[in-house]
Amino acid sequence: MSPQTPASQTLLEWHRTGRLASCFPGMPGMLAEVPDDELASVGRLLSQLDPDDVLGEHPATPVVTVAITGHGTLGQLTAPLAAELARHGMLMRALLSAFDGYVFDLSDPDSAVYAARPDLVLCVLDPMVVFDEIPVPWRSADAERALHDKLQMIGRLAAGFERHGHGTLVLNTMPLLRRFTAQIVDHRSRASVSAAWHEANAALLRMAVTHPAVEVLDLAPLLAEGIAAEDPRLSVYAKAHLSPALLARYARDVGHLARHVKGQTKKALAVDLDGTLWGGLLGEDGPDGIDVGSGYRGQAFRSFQRVIRQLGAQGVLLAAVSKNDPELVRAVFREHPQMPLREDDFVRISANWRPKHKNIIELAEALNLSTDSFVFVDDSSFECGLVRHALPGVAVVQVTEEPARHVERLLHDGWFDTRELTEEDRTRVSKYTDDLIRKDFLETFDSVEEYLRQLRITVHVATVRDDDVARVSQLTLRTNQFNLTAARLQPGDVHDLLTDPAALLLAVYSADRFGENGLVGAIFARRAEGDLHIENFLLSCRVFSRGIEQACLSVVLKHARAERAAKVLGIYRQTPKNGKVRDFYPRNGFVHVASEGPQMVFRHDLAEIPEPPQHICMVDTIGEPS
Amino acid sequence: MNSMDDFLALLRDELGLQVTRQDVGVDLHHVAGWDSLYFLYLLTTLEKRTGRSLLLADLLEASTLNDIYALAVTE
Repeated sequence: MSPQTPASQTLLEWHRTGRLASCFPGMPGMLAEVPDDELASVGRLLSQLDPDDVLGEHPATPVVTVAITGHGTLGQLTAPLAAELARHGMLMRALLSAFDGYVFDLSDPDSAVYAARPDLVLCVLDPMVVFDEIPVPWRSADAERALHDKLQMIGRLAAGFERHGHGTLVLNTMPLLRRFTAQIVDHRSRASVSAAWHEANAALLRMAVTHPAVEVLDLAPLLAEGIAAEDPRLSVYAKAHLSPALLARYARDVGHLARHVKGQTKKALAVDLDGTLWGGLLGEDGPDGIDVGSGYRGQAFRSFQRVIRQLGAQGVLLAAVSKNDPELVRAVFREHPQMPLREDDFVRISANWRPKHKNIIELAEALNLSTDSFVFVDDSSFECGLVRHALPGVAVVQVTEEPARHVERLLHDGWFDTRELTEEDRTRVSKYTDDLIRKDFLETFDSVEEYLRQLRITVHVATVRDDDVARVSQLTLRTNQFNLTAARLQPGDVHDLLTDPAALLLAVYSADRFGENGLVGAIFARRAEGDLHIENFLLSCRVFSRGIEQACLSVVLKHARAERAAKVLGIYRQTPKNGKVRDFYPRNGFVHVASEGPQMVFRHDLAEIPEPPQHICMVDTIGEPS
Repeated sequence: MNSMDDFLALLRDELGLQVTRQDVGVDLHHVAGWDSLYFLYLLTTLEKRTGRSLLLADLLEASTLNDIYALAVTE
């Protein structure tokens, strides 16, 4: 390797001295500074790491099990994938299938792929899936027939995966290559081949709509960035039908999907102002002198603001973090005629002279989020470096002095990628803004009890309905602090539980004088051997520490007693982020009965069930028809 | 890449192969950790390092590290 950056050199040093496993927790910070074209080299070294060596030293490292299958040679995917996962602090356990093994892997319920119960099954589709089936000479009708047959088969494999599989099956669209279309010399027929091809890709993309366990990555936007779809030499000689550069770009998107599946989606975007949202220096140029809206650069900044607004409308919490005079900043957001972003698009505008990482820490506390949930954008290498150093979990995006590239820089990584939006996402900003108002409200009281009483909290516990599945799954994926076992469930998993007669799935809704909080919690329980087992209990970080958790537990215990359960068992499994609820069961009348590794089991004998806190108005509709 | 030592350093640092001068004449099947997939990495990497286009078919027929090095540096 001839590493250009100090970070690449450090990583190489870790490899040479055999410290890649012991230094694994430092990987995200280090890889954040490795340029994209050096990532694959690092990935080759990382892909040779034995996950158990890393886990031996750092048992809490999140592991993503990935099965890689498809039509061609796919060994070249493991290196960039290992690097992309390590960027997010995750360890890869890869299962690389035999060449062209995807049909067998996915159609046989006893295959090694199913047996490994991977988090992600990557079924990598390439153009040769189709063209290997086409005779010579061929006409457009031959291509159309082959496409139709393959689609049918892939559809059957996806349906089979839903029946037998666990986790998520990832398909992708197939690039169309000129070395095939140009074999047809008449434009009419060539257009027919293209039309059939694009229709097949569209049908593939729609499989994600009909199959909740399937995701389909569209390679077309990646190719449009100027990446070659293939290297014909690798395709012809080695049956590696997609280019290494395309596989690396694909691996980046898979990395973000994995982060989402493991419950590590970013939730907030903190943006700098001068040079990032507008051109010029507000303090010097004044509100009328900054570049936004008109002029060449002004239009570029305006486009960037529109993208930020677009993200905010989908549940990403926006904050401004700027070294500026707060009054001036407020005036710009309120009065500047050409600003797409307005004050109420943000959950907070922090304009002061304090270090930016301190503002991010404070904001994270106010929103009850971890700083790891933040993405930070700034044009200053000094500020970016400082945040990266002080808060290695924050994803830092440095934009350049060319504002027309800001959008591309920010969206290069799918930091906020999620599988499905819920109504909760679309109203999240106002809910968090309400929370900040609640906090201000709190400061007007002498005691927390008085505050809670005045808050007039209502909690409704009900059986989960079909409509709640997406939101309940999302809660398991997004909630890290009040999540007693951190079991992450995809929508399909939640759906399966709804049809399981032994399972009891409860949704928790809350509201208070400031408005509805929506579906803020879920309880997963199971009836077994005359007992009720609480397999998981989670509550959005927006609403805990208000007595809601005690009120819900009281309802569950009463329900168990009414169902004549002998006792209730509660499980807690420790993760790096849920230490706060370690004592939840013992503090609420449970006794510790067993421990195994990070898992503890607690028992409640149902003799004395505490009443819900007095300040909460409780509505319990468990057992009522949905 | 100017010498066999540079080439061996590349194999160690990019592919994680623990190779020394003693391995250069050994059949690739007997080089610890060797994987035929490395031909593909080496095609891209050697082309980038030397600025020349290599013939993958020739590379795939190489049976020792020496053969690969010769293909990469021969004018």
